[in-house]
Formats: sequence, structure tokens, C-alpha cells
Amino acid sequence: MKLNISLSPEVIFNIGWFPVTNSFIWLLALSLFLMIATIIIGGRLKMVPGGIQNLIELIIEGAYSFTESIIGTKKKARRIFPLIFTMFLLIVFANLATFIPGQAAVSVARENGTVPLFRAIMADYGLVFVMTMITIILIQIVAIAVSGPFGYIGRFINLSGIKKFFKGAAKGEFKFGVLAQGFLDFFLGIMDIVGEVAKIISLSFRLFGNMFAGEVLGAVILFLAPFFVPLPFLFLGLLTAIVQAFVFVVLTLIFVSMASELDESAA
Amino acid sequence: MELFGALGLNVKILIAQFLNFAILLFILYKFGYKPMFALLEDRRKKIEKGISDAEKSSEKLKEIEEKEKKVLAAAKKEAAAIIEKAKEQAEKRQTEIIKRAKEEVGEIINQEKAKIRLEKAKTLKEIKKEVVDLVAISLEKITGEKMDNKKDEELIKKIINSGSGK
Repeated sequence: MKLNISLSPEVIFNIGWFPVTNSFIWLLALSLFLMIATIIIGGRLKMVPGGIQNLIELIIEGAYSFTESIIGTKKKARRIFPLIFTMFLLIVFANLATFIPGQAAVSVARENGTVPLFRAIMADYGLVFVMTMITIILIQIVAIAVSGPFGYIGRFINLSGIKKFFKGAAKGEFKFGVLAQGFLDFFLGIMDIVGEVAKIISLSFRLFGNMFAGEVLGAVILFLAPFFVPLPFLFLGLLTAIVQAFVFVVLTLIFVSMASELDESAA
Repeated sequence: MELFGALGLNVKILIAQFLNFAILLFILYKFGYKPMFALLEDRRKKIEKGISDAEKSSEKLKEIEEKEKKVLAAAKKEAAAIIEKAKEQAEKRQTEIIKRAKEEVGEIINQEKAKIRLEKAKTLKEIKKEVVDLVAISLEKITGEKMDNKKDEELIKKIINSGSGK
């Protein structure tokens, strides 16, 4: 038996020019499942809740009030909540779907050996990257909307301190302290760009890394000792599945709320 | 770009994943969050309205009770006044009736008295007349002569009057 560990999702088959990977199939299946479940539940909402609706309302209201407590105002929470909660649902269900037994056993024959049919959806860096990019672009949009386009650019390319020095120099005052401060501000502005890029990497690789590591760990343990020994690791994986979904979403929320409160610190 | 390849990043798949996520978000928003929040908001409003309605109705009940009390008190007062008035009137009437009865009785008595007096006077007059006649006859007999009718009568009257005048 050979351990099959691949960093990238494997291509199962091609539809024309489009390569269909194993994780993509499961993403589609999961999305379909979520959509159908939502349509069924959403169409059966009653004024007087009962059973399942009670539970769902409890979860959604809890999540919403949590969102509001982080982001501050009701208006902002209303806007961000659908995105945040959709991400959360997708990640949680994707992670929990890896616990459906029997997945590792099925593989598909390809020209260069066998390829596993199942792959944890969040162990596909592409999807995590897409979600992260949505978050990061959203943050930039919020920041631009809050501080205006020039204020937004000025945050990263901060020349105000240096300008101040040259204004002083034109009047014949050479304050090098001001110049040094200006260069420091400029440097910090550049560092903010690095910070934005770091956000992408930290946010996406945290989720991807955890889920991929969970997969690999599970495979390795299963390979070494198939009975009973993997159980604690499975529980650990269960914990990771929920915690990572939570962390991803909460970090997104915090980034957005930070971006939406920028003008107060700038003013 | 070797890293991207190793991670399996493929622009086509990325676009597909993005579209998938967008559709998922749309469907969940349209059929999940939107009706759910509308429902929650609706229910919140309904409950609020119910509570405020209950408060209003209890307030109104209090008001009505107070009004009732007021009306009842007024009615009691009025009833008492009416009873008092009726009593007064009855008393007045009673005294009036008694008074009238007394008066009537008095009148009747007076009438009777007057009748009696009249009869008495009549009787007396008759008696007097008879007495005069009697005396005249007696005197005639005694004196034996017929006195002048006029003189005679005057005399007798004088005698009687002096007798009765004592």
C-alpha cells in the first residue's frame, strides 16, 4: 500500500477545456445540498416556529447577534451577515463532510495512476483562496467607501510628512526631525501594503493548512494503525473543523469592522 | 508560479469556484436569510404590538373601572337625594293632610256649633214670645182690663229685659 498525498486537488476528468477536480465535484455537491436545504427550509418558515425551525432560528439569531457585537452597528451587520454566514456554513459543512466514512477507500484510475475520488473541500487551496480574496477585496471596498479613494491611497503611500518638510524648506526652515517622521510614515504606509498581502496569506493558509494537515494526518494515522488509534485524531479533526470555520469567519469580520472604522483613527 | 501549480491553482477552476460561491450566496440570501430575517422582524413587530395592545387594553380597563366607580357613586348620591326628597315631600304632605283634616274637623265643629247656637237663639226667641204672650194674658186677667196694645207690649218688654238683664 502506498500513501497518496497531494498538495493540489487531483483532476478526475475534463469537460472540454475545463479540468474537473475531485474537490470541485464535492464543492458542487455540497453547494447543491445547501441550496436545496435552504430553499426547502426557507419556503416552510412559519410565524409560529416548531421543531427544526426553532433550532435554525436559534442558530441564525445567535450568529447574527454575534456578528453585530463584533461589527458594531445593526446596519453593517445586516449587510455583512449573509456573506459571513454563507462562508461559515460552507466551511463547516465542507469540513464535517470529511467525516462521512468510506471516502478514502474510493479512487479513480487515471493515466498516471489512481486518484482518490474524495478530497476535503477546504483542502483545495483554490476555494480557500477565492473566499479569502472575496474577503480582502471586500475589506478594500469598505475602506475606500469609508475614507474615500484618495484617503485610501494616502494610507498606503503616505507622503504628507515629507511634504511638510519641503514646505518648511521652501520657507527656509530645515527641520530634519519632520523629514525623519515623514520617512517613517512613508515606510509604515508601505508596511501596510505588506500587511494587506499578509492578511491574504494568513487567512487562507490558516484554513487550508489546518484542513490539509488534518487530511494528511488522518491518512497517515490510518496507514500506520487503522483501528482505534485514529479515533482521538478524528475528534481533534472534528474540533478543528468547527474552530477553523469559526476563526476564518471571525477574522473576516474583524478585518471588515476594522476597515469600516478607519476614518475615526485617521481623523 | 511553481507554487501556484503545486497548490493546484487553475484560473478556470478559480473562476468556477467563485461563480459557485456567488450562486450559493445568492440562493442562500434569496431563500434563506431574507425570508428568515423578514419573518423574525415581522414576529418581533407582532410581539411588540401584542404587548403594547395588552398594555393599552389593561389601561383602558382601569379607566373603565374608574369611570364605573364614579358613575356608581354619582348614582348612589342621586338615589340618596331622591329618597331624601321623597321623604321630605311625604312628611310635608302628611302634615298637610293632618292639618287639613284638623281644619276640616274644626270647621265642621264650628258649623255644628253655629247651628246649635242658631237653634238655641231661635228657641229662646220663641220662648220669649210665648212668655210675653203668657204674661200679657196673665196681666189681662189680673188687671182685668185690656191694656193699650202698644203700651202693653212695651211694658212687658221692659219687665222681661230688666229681668233677663240682671
